[in-house]
Amino acid sequence: MDMKTQTRSTDPLPADGEPVAATRWKRERKRYTDWCTLGFCILGGLLVGITVLALANITMAELADPAHLIKIATSSTVIESILLTFGAGASAVLLLIVFGTPLAYILARSRPSRFKGVVESIIDIPLILPHTVAGLLVYLLFMRRGWLGAPLSDIGLAFEDALPGTIVAMLFVASPFYINSMREGFEKVPVHLENVARTLGAGTFTMFRTVSLPLSLRHMYSGAILAWGRAIGEFAGVIMIAYYPFIISTLIYYSFTTDGIRASRSIAFTVILISFGVFYLLRRMTRHLGRYDDRV
Amino acid sequence: MIEFDRVSLALGSFRLEEISLTIGRGDYYFIVGPSGAGKTVLLETIAGLHRPESGRVLLRDEEITTLPPEKRRVALVYQDYSLFPNMRVIDNVSYGLRVQGMRKKEARDEVVPLLERFGIAHLADRYPGTLSGGEQQRVSLARAIAVKPDILLLDEPLSALDPITQERFIGDLRRLHREDGLTIVQVSHSRREAHLLATRMAVIIDGYLVDEGKAGVVLNTPRSRDVATFVGIENILDGTVTANEDGHATVDAGGRTFEAMTDAAPGEEVSLCIRADDIILAVDGDRHSSARNTMAGTVVSVVENGPVAEVKVDAGVVLTAVLTRRSVRDLLLVAGTAVTLSIKATAIHVIRASS
Repeated sequence: MDMKTQTRSTDPLPADGEPVAATRWKRERKRYTDWCTLGFCILGGLLVGITVLALANITMAELADPAHLIKIATSSTVIESILLTFGAGASAVLLLIVFGTPLAYILARSRPSRFKGVVESIIDIPLILPHTVAGLLVYLLFMRRGWLGAPLSDIGLAFEDALPGTIVAMLFVASPFYINSMREGFEKVPVHLENVARTLGAGTFTMFRTVSLPLSLRHMYSGAILAWGRAIGEFAGVIMIAYYPFIISTLIYYSFTTDGIRASRSIAFTVILISFGVFYLLRRMTRHLGRYDDRV
Repeated sequence: MIEFDRVSLALGSFRLEEISLTIGRGDYYFIVGPSGAGKTVLLETIAGLHRPESGRVLLRDEEITTLPPEKRRVALVYQDYSLFPNMRVIDNVSYGLRVQGMRKKEARDEVVPLLERFGIAHLADRYPGTLSGGEQQRVSLARAIAVKPDILLLDEPLSALDPITQERFIGDLRRLHREDGLTIVQVSHSRREAHLLATRMAVIIDGYLVDEGKAGVVLNTPRSRDVATFVGIENILDGTVTANEDGHATVDAGGRTFEAMTDAAPGEEVSLCIRADDIILAVDGDRHSSARNTMAGTVVSVVENGPVAEVKVDAGVVLTAVLTRRSVRDLLLVAGTAVTLSIKATAIHVIRASS
């Protein structure tokens, strides 16, 4: 007797077609609960819940008066401010890529030493400082009488209440995000690959360009996105040196103190929508970039 | 071809101390030693990846101590293959030609015969992550050969391969050495690989070069007890020379007296090295032979290993002999069998404690 026949004889099919034994087994099976995973989900869920609640709160308030939202969102002041903020953030990230990538590589490939530890701590300073302190540091250095501000203003590059001031403040606060991400990426590239490239005839820069950098692209993307996000969200650091031109966080603050909560809320909601859309798109676009099968 | 003249270097807490060796054109040079001895560091130093603290490295009589790796015309193959995971097989193999200035298409065309030679042409468009260990190894070797190096450096290339793939790869390496006349330097901790491939070899222990020379000489007549242990001499007995007449010495070792050829003076401490396949066993009790060392003993164990068997005999001192399985069968050797054991005096290599 084959298995099919046997199954048929012992598990008669009820009207709905499922064997009786199977339904009994489903009914009687014991369900084990993983309390640890469940606990983690609840704790994490609470954290996400606060953000969701805050977003729901502002969304409900804004959707109650769509005409006002559209009026604010399409005003030239808001559009210009958003473009300025995103542009300044992108400029800061570009500068970080140019100056931060070599630094991250050197840090990744140098042996641990006291000097290296000091350099790493200096890089992390913007992470641990209150943003106002970061802003003050930038201001003192780049103001018209500052060590760097004075000679640069002599050649026509002013930072106080000017776009370069905004960019340099963003660069300062965003730098650890990019540099640390890039360094981690370079550290993950096996030194053997670089050694092989060198012996095959690649000079140091060719080896970096053809092996180390392509294999760290994902870290470059994620570091750049993080740094850009940090840069466009900066407020305290920027207003110290460049209250004008208004970046979006300054505009929201200005609107809050002069026009009240309703106007500032609409600007904030607009920024939330645009930022969410842009970051989602960026993540989608870079999802497959720099991925490789590293089972070698 | 390449010469190390008292080269020392430090890498963290590890040190290579005053390494002097010469690798000739066409040599298949083995660097052997236990794990952590500094073999790979030495190989990477040949490649120019570490700068010595002191000493000189010469290539064709020209000093290259500080010459960067890309200018040395050496190619390195690591144990982990180190294929570029973001490049297809063909781009991996043509990488060296491309970074040396060749156009992409030209470089790809150039390496096609090499892919065919190593039987990896059908893998040209695959990424390394999708290849087996053996395939990755062949790609890695093809990539190294593609740049036509003067010296091929191999870092334990066989250790991660299964036995069948190992045999095939050994065949590839032999062909590269014999047919292409390539100078190969291979790091290994396998004595078997050294037996099969090496023409010359160096033994490194704890950062020191402890023996160097023709492979047969190092393997059969090691300079020190440590080297003897490492190259796998099965019987090493410590003893004292009691008499010496024109180089024909009598040595007390392990409670037995042995005759061996050495210049060691009476009273001098020595180690006797006896290869297991130099020991002859007989069961009929006949002690008349030309062998100068003949002694009675009892078989302790017989362990079969492929076509041969390892027989341990207690003759006052426990000695290991290797016999064919047929001999073991014919002599009816089992634990407890009484045997007569013979070793020629010339088959015993004597290491003087002072050497």
